[in-house]
Amino acid sequence: MRQPGAEVFDLGYQRYTGPREGRNRARWALFENGVRTLLGIGRGGKAKILPVLLFISAITPAVVFVVILAFIGDLAAAVEEGDFVPGPADYYGIVAVVLVLFGAIMAPELLGPDRRDNVLPLYLVRPLTTLDYLVVRLLAFAVIALALVYSGQAVLFAGQAFTSDEPLQYLRDNWADIPRILLVGAVISLFISVATLAVSAYVVRRAVAAAVIIGAYIVIGGVVDGLTFAENCTDFEADFGESPFFEDRECDYLIGDFAPYLGLLQPAGVTDNINALVFDLDPQSPASLAVSELPDLTPVAAYLVWVIVPAAMLWNRYRRIRL
Amino acid sequence: MPPLLEAHSLTKHYGRTVALDGVSFEVNEGVTGLLGPNGAGKSTAMKLFLGLIEPTAGQALILGQEPYRSPEGRNRIGYMPENECLPRDMTATEFLMLMAQLSGLPPSQARTRAADVLRHVGLDEERYRPMHEYSTGMKQRVKLAQAIVHDPVLVLLDEPTAGLDPDGRQEMLRLVDRTARNFGISVMLSTHLMGDVERIADSVLVLESGVLSQEGAVASLTQETEALIIEVAEGVGAFAAILAERGVEANADGNLLVIEHAKEEDYDAVRDAAVDAGARLRRLAPARRTLTDIFRGGPA
Repeated sequence: MRQPGAEVFDLGYQRYTGPREGRNRARWALFENGVRTLLGIGRGGKAKILPVLLFISAITPAVVFVVILAFIGDLAAAVEEGDFVPGPADYYGIVAVVLVLFGAIMAPELLGPDRRDNVLPLYLVRPLTTLDYLVVRLLAFAVIALALVYSGQAVLFAGQAFTSDEPLQYLRDNWADIPRILLVGAVISLFISVATLAVSAYVVRRAVAAAVIIGAYIVIGGVVDGLTFAENCTDFEADFGESPFFEDRECDYLIGDFAPYLGLLQPAGVTDNINALVFDLDPQSPASLAVSELPDLTPVAAYLVWVIVPAAMLWNRYRRIRL
Repeated sequence: MPPLLEAHSLTKHYGRTVALDGVSFEVNEGVTGLLGPNGAGKSTAMKLFLGLIEPTAGQALILGQEPYRSPEGRNRIGYMPENECLPRDMTATEFLMLMAQLSGLPPSQARTRAADVLRHVGLDEERYRPMHEYSTGMKQRVKLAQAIVHDPVLVLLDEPTAGLDPDGRQEMLRLVDRTARNFGISVMLSTHLMGDVERIADSVLVLESGVLSQEGAVASLTQETEALIIEVAEGVGAFAAILAERGVEANADGNLLVIEHAKEEDYDAVRDAAVDAGARLRRLAPARRTLTDIFRGGPA
């Protein structure tokens, strides 16, 4: 009777004769690696804690808004009475802060290890350029940021539709919000991605980079708000929801008429101003209030500067790295 | 097929410092040693061939393409740097898969290649451990594995035995030798350890102060010289005196005696002197130049 058996052969080293897909494969692989790094995929449990917490933080405001909407009942009546009815713009005001935290913590994680562990030269001797590397890393970050903000908006939009008396009618009435939501989400994600990656490019240590980003966001924001405060027209208790500039333009800024331009330097205002512009909102902070005196396109131009300057800093940093 | 590497009047300046000064050479299949003291321009030459930096003048070509301007051409070369370069938190498998895909291999092929190459460098068992847990020797092997995972035609190794103990060094040299002889991947080996090059290289390039001072096949550079080396068990001085009495001048060099310009009859004289003196003759052989001699401008 024949005995069952097997034999293992060592074929030795085999030359690779399969396909070579070029630079786009390399770019995609690096993108995938960036997304996995940001989400902690393939790492230990600890690496997943922060991304999960940040996603929960981004979704929670949307869920809270839906609960509030469910309790309000008649939304049209509530709007007419001037009650607070949370919408997509309000959500973006909150989630932008969550996104800054996400950037402060995760952007250094995306760029830092490649430099700290000297992996960068290994990537750049493959068919990738420094520009490929930076664009792909930026895209990986921006895609996660977009997923973060859009998922919250999706929850909110679905919640609004289902808490209304007629969901289909709600969709018909509010479909125009969808492109606005997509546009502002992209605007916020791009700005925070570029800005936080730019800081991370100059500060390798994760904790220091996170402190610099959060510190700059809070300190610059506070200073600019303080300096753009106007004595007789930024009384929020009296005028909340109203823009007094259109009624009374005689504001006494502490630093004079330069205040509206100074307001453009507030990091939080960069996206708040666009959010207000797109959703036709009233300014929500002294700096935004001051900026609203300027022509509509000024915040858009300021936004572009706020994206282009950090992008140039990022490129400049990596262009000068000695490999 | 063009040469694997070509340098045409290759020049690189860092500010006022001239790292490479109009160097021209070609590298073909096999193992090529790139020798030179620190600051000779070895690393600069490697970086130019890898496309990491742009030449100030001249051309660095890999398979006929300029790597700095044509990134696509880089997918057929591999690079193993001298310093630490492994992501601490990744496993060797994950890292090699990424590196294979960065050279254009599809994910499924990258996975297979990563497993195969890790087996060939002897890291089959440890491939799912994070790399910060690896020893220096294991890290060196992963560095070599990532350099060949995409099956390049040429791999550039920068000081591959740096930081290894003697056993680890021998093992790494064996692996590099296998890479060239068994895997069919040509190797350019940059090192200051001439013994490493002498042992595994077919040809050698010697850089000094940014210029090419020597090049050629190791076998021809280390060819036999006119000198004759004599080793006796004891009494080197006394044996030299006996040889002198027979009209043969031999200079003591440690435990050895060297006849600088030996003639045919000197072999017989040494044999007869050993018999007469009852000296135990351990070695009588023509001297070969070593790379160290060449490097130091020793006897031709």
